Amino acid sequence: MSTAMNFGSKSFRPRPPDKGAFPLDHFGECKSFKETYMRCLRESHFDNSRCREESKEYLECRMDRQLMAKEPFEKLGFKDLMEKPAEENKAE
Amino acid sequence: MLLPFLLRGCTAKHYVQQALSSTRLCVNYCNIRGLATSSGQLFLRRTPQRFLNQSRGAKTHKRKHQNQEDDWKKRNKTVLTYIAAAGVGMIGLSYAAVPLYRLYCQATGLGGTAVAGHNTDHVETMKPIRDRIIKVTFNADTHASMQWNFRPQQSEIYLVPGETALAFYKARNPTDKPVIGISTYNVVPFEAGQYFNKIQCFCFEEQRLNPHEEVDMPVFFYIDPEFDDDPRMARVDTITLSYTFFEAKEGQRLPVPGYS
Repeated sequence: MSTAMNFGSKSFRPRPPDKGAFPLDHFGECKSFKETYMRCLRESHFDNSRCREESKEYLECRMDRQLMAKEPFEKLGFKDLMEKPAEENKAE
Repeated sequence: MLLPFLLRGCTAKHYVQQALSSTRLCVNYCNIRGLATSSGQLFLRRTPQRFLNQSRGAKTHKRKHQNQEDDWKKRNKTVLTYIAAAGVGMIGLSYAAVPLYRLYCQATGLGGTAVAGHNTDHVETMKPIRDRIIKVTFNADTHASMQWNFRPQQSEIYLVPGETALAFYKARNPTDKPVIGISTYNVVPFEAGQYFNKIQCFCFEEQRLNPHEEVDMPVFFYIDPEFDDDPRMARVDTITLSYTFFEAKEGQRLPVPGYS
């Protein structure tokens, strides 16, 4: 890991995650959302930008089942997804 | 080294002084007896002028010698204090070097240390850089004595810096006993590790799996948009995220700096 003996070379330092660790989903409560997400990923050849809606839904599931701290989605980088429904509502 | 030299000089002068004093005594003795012999006078006349001067100013010479000695003593003292001060200064510097070096590393990002000032508001305001596609590959490992089946659920994900992504790993406990695991991660290339930010994952905390239980482990991460500005990262297209699971023993903690 970071025990490289070469002087001056950059070694990797692991950093703790920003919001801590996910509690384990022992009962598989969000498994269906995960399956939807994985299917979407496989269909879009693992392109992340096309499956952001599904990932947002998975995180929503986790928040609803107390498996993740509730946070506004803008803070999780889903600002563009939140703005779209607002625009759609305005258009309607 | 100067010392024996000086000593020799001292002793030579001492002998000369002694010789002079003895001759003086002798001459005085002769004079007292009224013997002022010609030989005595001759002797006196014969001695070179400088010796005469020296014998006449024996006391001043002694004083001068004393002054010189005092001078040397003073000089030695100042030199010794300078050396002692330098020694103490060196010891102090070696103690001060630890926090100073840490500050320097944080400022320049040398050695892969996390640059200070990384906050979570960044996630809210960052803009994805659409024209830079990066492939993130996933790798899973377990320690030799760890019996879990641990593997990633996708081999790779294509994303851009500034976009949050979700990835899954799967872990299964095939044994009949609950096993507690703890994991750490690694990012290759090393320099890209400073741009790889995890919002939430399953590492560095003990995860307990019951017998024959299987769970999905998500990792929610993003790559900092500053990745695109770094000239060293200009040719980096693939980042590999590698997790390793260890079996957690009672009271054992992974040595992660600054994480409690």
